[in-house]
Amino acid sequence: MSDADRSADGPTVTIARSPIAAPEPLVPHRGWEVSGRRSAAALTITDLTPLAKVAVRAPMDGAVQRALGAPFGRAARDGAPALDGTLVVGSGPGEWLVLAPVGTAGEVREQLAGIVTEAGEFGTVVDLTHGRALLRLRGEASADLLAKVCAVDLSDAVTPDGAAFRSSVANLVTDVVRDDAGGVRSYLLHCERSSGQYLAAALLDAGAEFGIDVDGFRDPGI
Amino acid sequence: MTQGSTATATGAAMRLGPQPGEVIDRNRTIEFRWNGRAYQAHPGDTIISALAAAGERVFSRSYKYHRPRGLLTADFLDPGCQLQVGDEPNVRAAHRLVEAGMDVRSQNTWPSLKFDVKAVNGLAGRFLATGFYYKTFIKPERLWPAYERVLRKFVHAGEVSPDTEHGYYDKRYAHPDVLVTGGGPAGMAAAVAAARAGARVLLVEEEHHLGGHLRWGDDTARAVRAELAEQVRSEPGIEVLTDSVVVGRYDDNWIGVMQRNLPHVVERLVKVRAKSLVVAPGLVERPYVFTGNDLPGVMLSTAARRLINLYAVKPGERAVVLSANPEGDAAVADLQRAGVEIAAVADARRGQRVVRARGRGGVQSVELADGSRIDCDLLVTAVGWTAPTSLLNMAGARPVYRPEVARFVPDPAHTPDGVLAVGGIAGDGTLDQLREHADAVGREAARRAAQLAHRLHGALPTRPRDAAPQPAPVTDPVPIPELPLAEHPELFFSTHGFVDFSEDVSSKDLVTAVKEGYDSVELVKRYTTATMGPAQGKLETVNTVAIVAAATGRSIAETGTTTWRPMYAPVTLGALAGRSFEPIRHSPMQPWHERHGATPLVAGQWIRPEHYGDPAAEVRTVRSGVGIIDVTPIGKLDLRGPDVAKLLNLLYVNKWSKLDIGRVRYGVMCADDGVVLDDGVTGRLGDDHYLMSTTSSGAATVWEWVENWLQTEHPDWQVHVTPVTTAYASINVAGPRSRELLGRLTEGVDLRPEAFGYMNVRTGTVAGVQDCVLWRIGFTGELSYEIHLPASYGLHVWERLIETGADLGVVPFGVEAQRILRLEKGHFIVGQDTDGLTQGYTAGLGSLIKLDKADFVGKPELAWQAERGGYPQLVGLLPVDGDVVPPEASQIITGGGHIAGRITSSRMSPTLGRAICLGQVDSGLAEAGTRVTVRLPDGRDVEAVITAHHAQVDPEGERQRV
Amino acid sequence: MMLLPCPWCGPRNASEFRYVGETGPRPDPTTATPEQWRRHLYFHANPRGWVRESWYHRAGCRRYFAAERHTATNEVRSSGGHS
Repeated sequence: MSDADRSADGPTVTIARSPIAAPEPLVPHRGWEVSGRRSAAALTITDLTPLAKVAVRAPMDGAVQRALGAPFGRAARDGAPALDGTLVVGSGPGEWLVLAPVGTAGEVREQLAGIVTEAGEFGTVVDLTHGRALLRLRGEASADLLAKVCAVDLSDAVTPDGAAFRSSVANLVTDVVRDDAGGVRSYLLHCERSSGQYLAAALLDAGAEFGIDVDGFRDPGI
Repeated sequence: MTQGSTATATGAAMRLGPQPGEVIDRNRTIEFRWNGRAYQAHPGDTIISALAAAGERVFSRSYKYHRPRGLLTADFLDPGCQLQVGDEPNVRAAHRLVEAGMDVRSQNTWPSLKFDVKAVNGLAGRFLATGFYYKTFIKPERLWPAYERVLRKFVHAGEVSPDTEHGYYDKRYAHPDVLVTGGGPAGMAAAVAAARAGARVLLVEEEHHLGGHLRWGDDTARAVRAELAEQVRSEPGIEVLTDSVVVGRYDDNWIGVMQRNLPHVVERLVKVRAKSLVVAPGLVERPYVFTGNDLPGVMLSTAARRLINLYAVKPGERAVVLSANPEGDAAVADLQRAGVEIAAVADARRGQRVVRARGRGGVQSVELADGSRIDCDLLVTAVGWTAPTSLLNMAGARPVYRPEVARFVPDPAHTPDGVLAVGGIAGDGTLDQLREHADAVGREAARRAAQLAHRLHGALPTRPRDAAPQPAPVTDPVPIPELPLAEHPELFFSTHGFVDFSEDVSSKDLVTAVKEGYDSVELVKRYTTATMGPAQGKLETVNTVAIVAAATGRSIAETGTTTWRPMYAPVTLGALAGRSFEPIRHSPMQPWHERHGATPLVAGQWIRPEHYGDPAAEVRTVRSGVGIIDVTPIGKLDLRGPDVAKLLNLLYVNKWSKLDIGRVRYGVMCADDGVVLDDGVTGRLGDDHYLMSTTSSGAATVWEWVENWLQTEHPDWQVHVTPVTTAYASINVAGPRSRELLGRLTEGVDLRPEAFGYMNVRTGTVAGVQDCVLWRIGFTGELSYEIHLPASYGLHVWERLIETGADLGVVPFGVEAQRILRLEKGHFIVGQDTDGLTQGYTAGLGSLIKLDKADFVGKPELAWQAERGGYPQLVGLLPVDGDVVPPEASQIITGGGHIAGRITSSRMSPTLGRAICLGQVDSGLAEAGTRVTVRLPDGRDVEAVITAHHAQVDPEGERQRV
Repeated sequence: MMLLPCPWCGPRNASEFRYVGETGPRPDPTTATPEQWRRHLYFHANPRGWVRESWYHRAGCRRYFAAERHTATNEVRSSGGHS
C-alpha cells in the first residue's frame, strides 16, 4: 500500500455511498455515509441502501425455500435460526433476497451458502448489497402515495402485510415488500442501484401532497 | 367586495330570490372579469350562471359563421359556453365554478363578440360549404401559409400562450370492486347497494354535487336526493369523486377517470381497474332542429330549470315553451314560479311544432307550425332524450333504437358481464322503480365483483399460504326488475337548422352530403364533421341520424348510429401526458462528473460524460500517458452453475469450452437470423463462475435473451444468471502508464505483464476496496485495465485514481474520446457499424465464427451466408482528402449513382491527424486499395480508399499487449 | 389495457409484459432447409381466434410463459409453463 493510500490517522478510509443524495447532517455508519436527519412526519421515506442484500437462487418449493421460510410472494422473519435479524423476501419463483443489518453481507452470504449446501439442491448465493437501492416508506398514507406510481392493488385482499411483489413503480421495475412496522403501514422498495436517485425523487414528488419527509438512517433499519 | 364596480348596477338583474335547491352562497360575493369588465358572483355560481344573472346572453361566436351563441344546456356540454379563463382555453364555463379574480374572455370573437354577424358571414360563406375541408384550401400548395392564417381566425379554440407554465398533472391507480359512473338517483342507489353488499365502490359524478336531475326537481325529489346523498356519505366503502368524469372503458374494465377538483394539481387521471362497472349517466336532453335554433335565448328545458333552481337565475322575461314530456311541463311551472311570463306553450304531444325563431343577437319572436308568431325573448324546448351509451358501446354492447320511446336502449344480452346499466339509460319508470332497479343492479354488480375477485385473487402469491380461504361468493344472480319504457314522440326537426352547434353543421349540410352521395351516417359524419366537435355527439348524434335517415328514406334503426369511441368527455393533453415517468440511471461517479464540468450525454436511460471539455486532448493523453473513463453502463451478468460453458457455447458464435480460470475471451452473439446481436468479453472467475459483459445498450436485451434460452429451450441446464450491471462501478484505466497508476493502488494482484497478461482476469483490492474484478482488455487499443468494483465505493476509487495519478498526468476521458480511440483501433459498435440486417460475416467475424460447433444460435443462417458469399462487408476507409470527415450515414455510391454502401463511423483522428472511417460496402468494393465515392449530405462527392484493416492505429495490437 | 394472467404473479396489466410471439418448435438447426428455417423465423399464423403465444413478464417475475389468447376478445384461457 502506498503512502498516498493512507489517511492522516492511519489505515485506508474507504467510504461507501448510497446512490441517493442524503440530506444533512451526514454521519458515518459502519463504513457508509448516511443521513442523520430525524423527522417526526406522519409519512417518511428512508434510504436503507446500506443494508446487506444477498440474493439466493434455488428450486421453487424445495428444501432451501423451507429453510428460508418465505415462499415466492411473501416476506418472512421466521426462517432458519441462522437468519435471525434478517428479512427474507420471496422475490421471484425460486428467488430470494435476504436483507440484513449493515456490514453483515459476508456472514449472511456464508450462512446462506451453508443452507444451500445442506439442502443439496442446485442453488447460488450472490451479494447484491452494492447492486440495489433500498427505500422504506412509512406512514398510513404510504399506500395512497404508492397508488400514484404503481398499478398493483394495494388493498389487504391482494397485498396484505408481508406481501412481496415486483412491478413497475414510476415506470421502473421495482421490488415492493409490504412490511408494516408497529402497526403502521410501511413498504420497502428496492430497485437497480443506478436508478435509486430517480426512484427516491419520484416517491418524494408523489408524496408531496401527503406531506412526506425524509427520515435519516436508524440502525438496524430492518 | 367593492360596491362601486361598473357591473354592480346590472350585476344581479336576473337574479331571483332564494330558491330551495340553490347551490350558491348568497352570504358571499366575489368579483371576476368578463372581457375586461368587472362582474359579481356568489360562490357556487358557474361562470355562465353569474354572467346570466347579470343579464348577459351572448358568450361566444360560432365556429364557421361567427353567429352569436348563448346558453343551450347550461352544463358541461354547452357548445356556446366555451371560454378562455386566464391562460386556459376552452373552459366549459357553464360547468366551471367562478373564482374571485378570474379573468374570463370570449373565444373565437373575430373581430369582436358584438360585431354584426352579416359581415363575417359574407366573407366566410363563400368557402364554408359542406365538406369545405375537402374542397377548399387544396391548391395551390404554396398558399398554405396564407390559408392557415385565415383558418386560424375561424377556429373556435382559445389561445395558449407560449409562456404558460407547465401545470402539474397527476396520475393515480384505483382498484374498486364496483365503479359507478354517474351520481344521480340511480347511481347513488346502486353505489349504496353495492357497498352494503361488501364491495369497495368508487362513485364518479361529472357535476359538482351528487343528485343528478333531482337537484332541480320538486320538494319530493330534493328530499330523495338528500336521503340518498346521506346514505352515500355514511357508507365507508364508497369513495366519491365529484367534478370527475369517466372518459373511456377498455379491456377488462380498465377505465379512465378525469378528476378535476383537486387542490394540488391541475387534473388527475385516475386509471381504474374495476371488477364491475355500473353505467349511470342519466339522459342527455336533445336539442330541436329548426330555423334559428341557435339564437341566444333558445335553450333546453333542463337548462332553464338548472338556471332557476340551482343558481336562482331568471332565464328570460317572456317565454314560449315547446314541450313533449313531463319535464317540459315542469319547466313551464318553474318558469312561472320564477316570474317569467309564459307567452305560449306548444304541446308537441298534440302535434304542435316550432318552425322558426327570429331575432338579432337573440330570440325576439317564435313562429309555430300553425303560422302564429309570438314575441318572446326565451324559447324553451323539451323534445326528448339521448341515452349517452358511450361506455356500453366501448364495452362491445350495441344499443338498439326503439321508435316508440324515441331513443337508443341498451341490449343487456349483448353487454359483457362486468358492465351493467342503471337509471335513465336503462329505462324509465317512477323514481321508486328506478331506485329499486338500481338497488338490485348494485347488489348484482357487487356479487359479480366478488366472484371475479375470488377467481383473480385465489392463487395470488402475495397472500399468506396459511390464510383462511376466501368465502366462496354467492353464485345465484340477484333478480333484476324490468324497467318500463315510457312512450315518447319522435321529434328531431321541423325545418332546417343547426344540428351540431360546436361544428356549425346544419341539417342542410347533412342533406347536401347525402345528395353528394354520402349515404352512410359514418361518411356523413366525417364529411360534414357533425358530431365531431367538443360535445362528441352527445347532443348531436341522434338528430344527425334522424336527418340522414329522412334524407335517405330509411328508418333510424336502419341508419344506425356512428360509433362511440373514447374519450367520452374532452381530456386535456396535460392530463394524458401527466407527470413524466422516465427512469434515468446514474453511475456512482456522477457527482464527480458534474463537479468537473462533464458535458452530459443521454445514452438510453444513462446519463454519461460525453467529454470534459476537449475530447481530442483526452484521446492524446490516453495514447501518451493515462486516462480513466467511467464505463459503469457496460452490461454485466454474473453466471453461475456447472452448465455455464454450454450456455456460452450456444449463445456465442465462437468456442468457450476451454476457457481457463483467470482468462477472459471476446465473443459475439448472433440472433437466429444470423444478425449480430451483441458483443463483449466474458471472464472465468472460478470453476462454475463467470462474469459476462455486454454492450451498454444491449444489457437488458442480452439478459432477456439468455433467460429465454435457459427457460424455454434448456430448463434442464444448471445456470443462474444475475444482472450485476450496477452492482459494479466500472472504470477503465487506459494508456501506457495505466499499469503504473494501478500499481500504486492495487493489493493482492501481481500486475507485471508476465503475471497478468493481455486477456486475463484477476480479483483483488483497489484503493482499499475488496472484491474488485480486474480485466486486462483493450477497447482503446492501449494497455488498459477494466476494474469492476462494488458500486458503493465507485466514487471513492475514482477519486483515489485521480489523486494518486496526478503526477502521471491522469485525466478523465468521456464517451466521445472512447469512440475516437476505438475507431482508430477499428473496433465496431453493434448497432452503429452493424444494423438489423448485418449478419456475422458482414461484420468481419469470419475468423471468430466456428461453424464446426455442433449448434449455436444463428448457425444455420451464418452457414448459408458463408456458402452464398457476395455479402456486404464492414471495412476501414480513409478519405483521400484527410481533412474531410464524411458524416456518419453518408452514402457510398458507384458510377451510375447506385448506393453501394455507407459510412457507419467517422471521426477526425487526433493520433493520425486525418479523417478515418468504418463503413459497409458491397462485396465487390471491399478489397483493400479500392477507391470509392462517398456522397456527402450537401451533395458533394469525395473519394475514399478501402484499407487492409479496420484499425488505422496499431493494427497488429502491439500497444495493448505490453 | 387487458389483464394478462401471469402463471406466477397473477393477473397484471399487459404493459408489464413483453410479447415474444406465437409459439412453435424451433426446427432442428442441423437438418432444416432454408425454407423451413425462415418459415419458422418469419411466418406467423396470426389467426382471428385462439393462438398459443409466448410472453415475458419483464416488470414482474421475469419468467417466460405460454398463454392461449383469443385475438379478437383478448380472453386468455390458459397460461403457464414454458413456451
